[in-house]
Amino acid sequence: MTIDTDFEKVFPITERTYIGLAGLATDVKTLHDRLRMRVNLYKHREERVIEPNTFANLVSHMLYEHRFGSYFVQPVIAGLNKNDQPFICSMDTIGCIDLGGNFIVSGTAAENLYGTCESLWEPDLEPEELFETISQALLNAVDRDAMSGWGAVVRIITPSGIITRDLKSRMD
Amino acid sequence: MTQLKPGEVSLGTTIMAVQFNGGVVIGADSRTTTGSYIANRVTDKLTKVHDRIYCCRSGSAADTQAVADVVAYHLELYTAQHGEEPTVKVAASLFQQICYQNKNNLSAGIIVAGWDKVDGTSVYEIPLGGSIHKQNFALGGSGSVYIYGYCDKTFRPNMTKEECVEFVRSSVSLAMTRDGSSGGVIRLAVITEDNVERIFVPGNQLPPQYLG
Repeated sequence: MTIDTDFEKVFPITERTYIGLAGLATDVKTLHDRLRMRVNLYKHREERVIEPNTFANLVSHMLYEHRFGSYFVQPVIAGLNKNDQPFICSMDTIGCIDLGGNFIVSGTAAENLYGTCESLWEPDLEPEELFETISQALLNAVDRDAMSGWGAVVRIITPSGIITRDLKSRMD
Repeated sequence: MTQLKPGEVSLGTTIMAVQFNGGVVIGADSRTTTGSYIANRVTDKLTKVHDRIYCCRSGSAADTQAVADVVAYHLELYTAQHGEEPTVKVAASLFQQICYQNKNNLSAGIIVAGWDKVDGTSVYEIPLGGSIHKQNFALGGSGSVYIYGYCDKTFRPNMTKEECVEFVRSSVSLAMTRDGSSGGVIRLAVITEDNVERIFVPGNQLPPQYLG
């Protein structure tokens, strides 16, 4: 049963790092709140913003704390580090970090996404080209999954800023 | 009644049939799922069992295909043996016999609809247990639960053919939006004494509705 059709599951952590949380909605909300607190505490103690790589380790640690009784979420993290290098990774429900390669996928349509990403991704894409690639990969994978869909949001993180676009998709 | 086996293909589904003066309109979505993977997004769930008798299938794809094949065979034999076309009542009865006697092994929710010269148009619903219900309009499948209110409010007896087609289109479309197991395109068929007219509504031409 579709009960919410505009449930946000991608959250900004810093200006240049985002986390996507796929899975049980209550755990998505709880984890987001807890991570926000830990990141704010980090900022106060370290007097600087957290790097994506460090943030990934923070998430991993938090998930493993609940090794036997885990959160039902599979996070995806993407961001730019202080040298403007891109960082992406995903995790399983108990915090194993997958640094992957060129792309990272998660969610009920993960297998479909592996297929579409593997075929469509190529190196050295410009931001606008990357936007096209990720949009097609997402939309076509999600259209073959009964549990995903009802619209999509794509964000491209560049050194000069974030480009956010809502995609029109099948509503079934 | 059995649950679907792991890996078994399910017609998640929204199906409906509506009677009007002179014919019957049947409609269905087009999604077949294996778990949450959409195995076929353009399925035809409206199956002919005789010239003017169709069934709408929901539940296990294998079970409903097998049962429909058996009934189609029996109806063809009926024509040869009796020298006249079978009635929709006979077809529905055959479905019911099979579904009831094998209720522990089947997962099949079927709507039988059509035209015959004895009763004119009829719509029969045969849900999971194998009971039979003659109705003016019937809803079935996992998506039907989302549209009972809408259908109860919108249906009137003795609508025209165009009103019926619009009614089925808008109902199935609403169910497809909310039910994860329904989606794709809408397939309709209008069965009258003269012919069976097939209508196809692609996913991007669904009737307008509030979309969150």
